[in-house]
Amino acid sequence: MSQERTLTDLFTERAGQAGVAVIAVGSADEAAEQTVALCRERRVRRAVLWDAPDVALIQERLRAAGVEILDPRARFETLAAAEIGITGTEAGVAETGSLVLSTAPGRPQAVSLLPPVHLALLRADQIVADPAALLDRRGPLPSALVLITGPSRSADIGLVPVLGAHGPTEVIVLLIASPMA
Amino acid sequence: MREVALFVTCLVDQLYPQVGEAAARVLGRAGCAVAFPRAQTCCGQAAFNNGFQEEARTLARHFLEVFADAPAIVAPSGSCADMVRGWYPRLFADAPGLSGLARSVASRTYELSEYLVRVLGATDLGARFPATVAYHPSCHGLRGLGLLEEPLSLLRAVRDLRLVGLPDAEQCCGFGGFFSIKYAALSGAMLSAKIDTIEASGAEVVTATDVSCLMHISGGLSRRGSRVRAVHLAEILAES
Amino acid sequence: MPDCAPRIDMLRNIERALRDESLQRQMAKAMPASRRARAEAAAELPEWESLRSAAAEIKDHVLANLEEYLARLESRVSALGGIVHRAADAAEARAIITGLARSHGALRIVKSKSMTTEEIRLNPALEAIGARVVETDLGEYIAQLAGERPSHLIAPVIHKPTEEISDLFARKLGTPRYERPEDLARVAREVLRAEFAAAEMGITGVNFAIAETGTLVIVENEGNARLTTARPRVHVAVMGIEKVLPGLADLGVFLRILARSGTGQRASAYVSLLTGPRRPGETDGPEALHLVILDGGRRRLLADEAMREALRCIRCGACQNECPVYRHAGGHAYGSVYAGPIGAVLTPAYEGLERARDLPFASTLCRACAGVCPVKVDLPGMLVELRSRAVRAGLAPWRDRMLVGAWTFFTRSPARFALGGALGRLAQRLLARGGRIERLPPPLAGWTAHRCAPVLAPRPFRSMWRGPRGGRG
Repeated sequence: MSQERTLTDLFTERAGQAGVAVIAVGSADEAAEQTVALCRERRVRRAVLWDAPDVALIQERLRAAGVEILDPRARFETLAAAEIGITGTEAGVAETGSLVLSTAPGRPQAVSLLPPVHLALLRADQIVADPAALLDRRGPLPSALVLITGPSRSADIGLVPVLGAHGPTEVIVLLIASPMA
Repeated sequence: MREVALFVTCLVDQLYPQVGEAAARVLGRAGCAVAFPRAQTCCGQAAFNNGFQEEARTLARHFLEVFADAPAIVAPSGSCADMVRGWYPRLFADAPGLSGLARSVASRTYELSEYLVRVLGATDLGARFPATVAYHPSCHGLRGLGLLEEPLSLLRAVRDLRLVGLPDAEQCCGFGGFFSIKYAALSGAMLSAKIDTIEASGAEVVTATDVSCLMHISGGLSRRGSRVRAVHLAEILAES
Repeated sequence: MPDCAPRIDMLRNIERALRDESLQRQMAKAMPASRRARAEAAAELPEWESLRSAAAEIKDHVLANLEEYLARLESRVSALGGIVHRAADAAEARAIITGLARSHGALRIVKSKSMTTEEIRLNPALEAIGARVVETDLGEYIAQLAGERPSHLIAPVIHKPTEEISDLFARKLGTPRYERPEDLARVAREVLRAEFAAAEMGITGVNFAIAETGTLVIVENEGNARLTTARPRVHVAVMGIEKVLPGLADLGVFLRILARSGTGQRASAYVSLLTGPRRPGETDGPEALHLVILDGGRRRLLADEAMREALRCIRCGACQNECPVYRHAGGHAYGSVYAGPIGAVLTPAYEGLERARDLPFASTLCRACAGVCPVKVDLPGMLVELRSRAVRAGLAPWRDRMLVGAWTFFTRSPARFALGGALGRLAQRLLARGGRIERLPPPLAGWTAHRCAPVLAPRPFRSMWRGPRGGRG
């Protein structure tokens, strides 16, 4: 358990350094509340969420708050109109502060890629030490498994870092404390 | 008493004999009996680095003959010591008569500061050098022989010497043997960057383990009319 | 074809680069920053050196069993529903890919950064069949707009100052003259989003291909490779034969060293592990996946024992960032796709030593590259080897033969050495003033164009030596 706490701290530090806003929450309910607040701050009118049980509660609350929910199976161009994309995660990587996402029906890459803001739910007990630890114990692979470390970026012009080169400008992680902790 | 054969290197012999004198004095002060095998000439590095391996082998064969029986071979040059240690065994890998000798001579060859610190365990040789000094780690000493702490610890022990850091110290001065003639302008641009950092360091003297780099740096300093002097590490250690 | 291409005149290219003030300013700013970033990222991992060794060992193991791993990769990719194509050379690879564009009726093409497609000169071939090909990596997009080749493995327009890019956008895209990189990047994002939306085929490189799972791994920061592989209905991935890794566990090692070596990041923003085409019920990812595996001179390199380990290269760019020659010469001076120390090794291997004879000589052999290479390629050792091959092949210029010949003549025995010294002392009476030489005649004139030459001492060391000494303790 103490090791888990260390990994959580390291993840939070490293993800922060990669430009991710990590917000610790105590429960799924709190995560949903936070999401509604974050969307309100950003005046989000349209959101797209993974079709997944872990974000179902968020979807319900957002809809109740008047946010239009787009179907994640919609066309690329439609999804590009969403102001936030909300996903679960399969794992977090402490050494690099990375999120690990798997595609599946109803969970296309577009959700974490097209909108300017990507919000991901992560449970503390999903965090592993480093990329090697993630890959060593891997089962069957999805059509796309993506490690995401911070927002989309480029330093191609004048070596000046620019965010949102093609993907999101902002990545937010709602880190849910594990039930054990 | 340790017996040491001094390989002064061709450049020291013809251009900077005072560096050979200083190296001999320093080794003597450290308790060595110093010999100078007169038949020595050049290790062949310049030809080797320029792709002329047959010519390099000719010179290397001569070196092996001259130093075959020396208990330890010490050179005031990281790049020549690295040539003997790093490349001779490979140059003669397929020569049945010489491969063993090449490996054995290679294992007995040292750069001066390396021999003083690593083999003799000596850092304070009683030198006094009242000046502000910057150290340029020559590439082959630094990355070939892994020398950095050795020369620095020797310099730190010199009385009245103020050691200053050199920005981007590990950057090559641009010499590179025949490279400095073939790609003279590029070599000059690298030299110019090195001289900028030397002047910015506030040093009165720049030192190194190799006269080849110092020859290059000194040529750049004097072309620029700089007051900074280029002095070999052995010369500093020999001052008292 | 490559064998009859004209010789790369590196000396002339370098001299042009040295006169290019904006290039010099840009490189002076960019290179030290890149070096520092790498050094800090490497220092953060205590096991850095053992990771390098592990990575080198994995690559060597793959190279020793290459055909087996390629066969396994091919069968895994095929089992997943992908189609594998083997290309012996650039022409074959171009023919395969243009054929795919035709047969899929996919002439709107987006590309993400790929050195291998640069190597096979893919874009002109696609344009020749009427395809519209758009590079989507920001740097590559800029290079494409400028009609240039990328000058760095991971930072394609590192040589270009922002003002120049601003001018380029104004000229080609009709934008206002934006000064801030973020404004220029936003323009490119908007233009390229439209390209993605219309694209029918996406072409990418491959950083690693996992034999065990048939997974293609693409590492990037911008997200354009994700878009290139997620949106168009056809994905064509192009890789050299050396990109294959045995299993996922091996990938872990490389993911830990690649970004740290390249950009100094702990991880690149996106690492995509793509395993087969789109699956039932999914709404993005390609319907058709093609993997083109290129030889292009690599098997010849593999058979060359002294040079083989160059195939370990993972294209991180660390050797370029570290190289003082690259810093001053810029990538374009190397006259081909791969620049810097690794370019000086790969270009002779892929395009012939005759054409690329200058490249291995354009180095001081300072070995900075060897110290940072994450897969421990002995770049300086290979440069030395290539130099020796050039000399043996009679490719050394007359001046080198003369200088080395004279040097060897005068150093092969002590008597000749003394004679050479004496002749030199005579000659320098005409040249030396005040303890130095300001101007030397050809072929040494280059030296004194940039620095003073030293004078021979009045007497050599050997004539000053008074016999054994020392031992006072």
